[in-house]
Amino acid sequence: MTLSNKTLEATSSPSPVGWISLIVPGLGQFFFGKRWRGLVIFLMTPILGYLVNWSLVHQNIGQVEIGSFVTSWLWLPFAFFWAWNLLDALNLAVGKSINALIGVLFAAVILYFIAWNVTDVKLDRLITRLSDAKLVATDLVNPDMLTISVNGRDQVCAWACVTQAIGDKLAGRPLQGNIRLSDNLLDIIGRIKPDKAPKWLVNLGLAQAGSTPTQYVAGTLIETIAMGLLATIFSTILAVPLSFLAAHNVMSRVPGGSVIYYVMRAFLNIVRAIDTIVWGLIIIVWVGLGSFAGMIALTIHSIAALGKLFSEEIEHIDAGPVEAVRASGANLFQVIRYAIIPQIIPPFLAYTLLRWDINMRSATVVGFVAGGGIGFFVIETIRPGAYPQYAAALWAVAVVIILVDTISARWRDNILRDEPRETPVATQAWRGWLKGVFYGILGLAAFVYCWNLTGIDLKAMFEPAPTFLRLVGDFLKIDLTPAILESVTQQMLVTIFQAMLATTLGALIALPFSFLAARNLTGRSPATVWIYVAVRSVFNVLRSIEALLYVAIFIFWVGIGPFAGMLALSVTTFALIGKLFSEAIENIEPGPIEAVSATGANIFQVVIYAILPQIVPPFVSYLIYQWDINIRMATIIGFAGGGGIGLTLSTYFGSLQYHKAGTVVAFIVIVVALMDFTSAKLREKMV
Amino acid sequence: MLRIEHLTKVYPNGTEALTDVSFEVADGEFLVIIGLSGSGKSTLLRCINRLVEPTSGKIFFNDVDVTAAKGAEIRLIRRQIGMIFQQFNLVKRSSVMTNVMSGRLGYVSTLPSLLGLFSAADRQLALDSLEQVGLSEKAHVRADSLSGGQQQRVGIARALMQEPKVVLADEPVASLDPVLAHSILKYLEQLNKERNITVLCSLHFLDLVHRYATRVIALKDGKLVFEGTPNQIDDAQFKAIYGQEAERISVV
Repeated sequence: MTLSNKTLEATSSPSPVGWISLIVPGLGQFFFGKRWRGLVIFLMTPILGYLVNWSLVHQNIGQVEIGSFVTSWLWLPFAFFWAWNLLDALNLAVGKSINALIGVLFAAVILYFIAWNVTDVKLDRLITRLSDAKLVATDLVNPDMLTISVNGRDQVCAWACVTQAIGDKLAGRPLQGNIRLSDNLLDIIGRIKPDKAPKWLVNLGLAQAGSTPTQYVAGTLIETIAMGLLATIFSTILAVPLSFLAAHNVMSRVPGGSVIYYVMRAFLNIVRAIDTIVWGLIIIVWVGLGSFAGMIALTIHSIAALGKLFSEEIEHIDAGPVEAVRASGANLFQVIRYAIIPQIIPPFLAYTLLRWDINMRSATVVGFVAGGGIGFFVIETIRPGAYPQYAAALWAVAVVIILVDTISARWRDNILRDEPRETPVATQAWRGWLKGVFYGILGLAAFVYCWNLTGIDLKAMFEPAPTFLRLVGDFLKIDLTPAILESVTQQMLVTIFQAMLATTLGALIALPFSFLAARNLTGRSPATVWIYVAVRSVFNVLRSIEALLYVAIFIFWVGIGPFAGMLALSVTTFALIGKLFSEAIENIEPGPIEAVSATGANIFQVVIYAILPQIVPPFVSYLIYQWDINIRMATIIGFAGGGGIGLTLSTYFGSLQYHKAGTVVAFIVIVVALMDFTSAKLREKMV
Repeated sequence: MLRIEHLTKVYPNGTEALTDVSFEVADGEFLVIIGLSGSGKSTLLRCINRLVEPTSGKIFFNDVDVTAAKGAEIRLIRRQIGMIFQQFNLVKRSSVMTNVMSGRLGYVSTLPSLLGLFSAADRQLALDSLEQVGLSEKAHVRADSLSGGQQQRVGIARALMQEPKVVLADEPVASLDPVLAHSILKYLEQLNKERNITVLCSLHFLDLVHRYATRVIALKDGKLVFEGTPNQIDDAQFKAIYGQEAERISVV
């Protein structure tokens, strides 16, 4: 009561309670019930202060000299931020509110100025080296997929050559040369040639040991598909039991279960925070380079990601059947079998398919560190600067990933719709059975083929190289000396700022395009449908290629470093955000638009009152989500020359300084887990 | 016979759902529990088969102390007590048959049941139970392709699989169209009269109470405020149970 009386009296002069924000920023807001705003201000103020000081001391960012006094001009917006916080608290005290955007603006000035500098943004290079960019662009659209022999000399047969050949053929003119699939393309998709007979052929008695029958020899892309497929199968099988141990509603019924639950959840979160690529670095020390190592790395990360999703799904099941089955006197195992498992099958299958999609994407880059697959192929083409060959790999990846994406999305849709099947008629029963056997045999054959192709070597798994034991030992006694901590912190900040800039840049460019790619805006009229199709296709093609694969392009354009990494990240951001934004626009409900129009509002008023309120919350939520993804990606972008913590990590691994690498991994886990948590909380608040 | 003595339940968040409730149920009774939402009816029913742990007090089922039972003992008691739920609580994706069979889990050994193997006698019992509720031809369709009334009948068939001595019915008709209420309650009445199964049933509508109950208890804010025959509920009693603003309404 005293407080509200005071507020009433204080309409002319601000309440003294608000002044507490001068000393502790955010505390005043907290007192007046704006808990979230208070908390954010309370946390942001020291972070901003630290960053201003850090960037001045380490990188001379914002440095100004006033006489002999050296300081950063960034302290000015910082002071404004503090002042805004005080004004805000004083206004809240009299029941008024000032725009939060002002505070956000001051914070943004500080953050983006630092980000701009640490990411080493050199806009001039985008222009001055445009000729280099043109070279790469030409190679990208003219990939080395066909070869033409002219006078006994082989050369790449690109678009111009293909169109000419088609024209010649149609006109009945003789071709300029013999056109065939290029060796580069055959390296990717595989070729038919004599090779050493595989073991299974020998075991079946179809070939002699040591003979070289003509056979299909898989290319790097096929190897990649095998890695992704096997990793998905193995990780699903392993994640299912783990997910029950990490499900609260199951474990709370078991004595001591809560302890297991917390341990499992922590374990899954830590493993998930380490990217597949980083796992790849660790695994190659264990089993050596190759697709087998890549497959294990994919599996480990995938187990943790699926384990978390699965366990959340178990926690969200309908409790009714569980109660009913318990009431009939069933024990825990029977409850799981009869009340839980039938409920979780559709979401589990859907998540597995989603993960298959993600694993295929990761499989295309895990070869960067683990060797094997198309990732390794890309590295080998980039090193000598063979961009037409690199371009062929990118296009091949795009085709496969778009295919996987489409199949996985369609199957997920069907599964989640989960319609009751019609009762099988007796005559159809045997057909269904036959179909099952057919797919079973096909699946088994594919599995065995992938197993062979990936070179799975169970013996290697149980006989880790001696260096692996050293790695584990070094990881346990990580290097926490100040010098290391300082340099790791510095690189971590670069990484975070890289992600921030990439998210901003990608989203800004994506925003106008997302309106062009919304079915309800451009997809309906025949005059504009081509825009819809074109923009959507660009989103889909760009989205199908991992940021790590893009880095090579930007290195050629702007040089090695965080700027190139940031640009690569913003390409994938552009594609994903563009897709998500346009879907959000498509999901606008027509009801409010109709209602506002019915009041006689004009088009601008309709946009402000009926459309914006519907798209801003999903947009912000997607931005936060994207930022979270970008931080994860930024931690590895350095492996391809994109700067940031990834570069530090690969240096430490390369020079066998595992105790320092351990420090980096620990930092990544902490930052990624923290960001993951914050972004989930923020998005929860948004919805 | 069921005897409840000084039953109290306080939830971890501090809500006192039941306060010192005592009553007895003789074999073969159709006891109806009435009271507003949140008066403790569901908690009371769930304390009887220990789906909810009582805070204090005792429950005796045929002179066995239910509240003292542990682990396997609880499951042995539970299998003698069938339960029917407001939301039916069927596994929607499983077949009607599988849902009914799950009522038998307390009787069969773990490993075969995990593999979905049941004896021929158990399967016959399931078919008989479905026949009893008039759904034999629906045995092999998925539960979610049935209507609400049919789903509740599957719920009854599942309870019958336990060959129960007592059936607890928690608002069995509250999620159904009012015109279906009688069809469900008639099945319960049939079990009560023909098989001499004791029924404890919570209900909202007073005219249903008059039609089916042999005895009534009323809960208000977790306390027992009435115990007697349906005819004894006059307007004064009604207001005491449901509050001064309540009006009597009837259902077809």
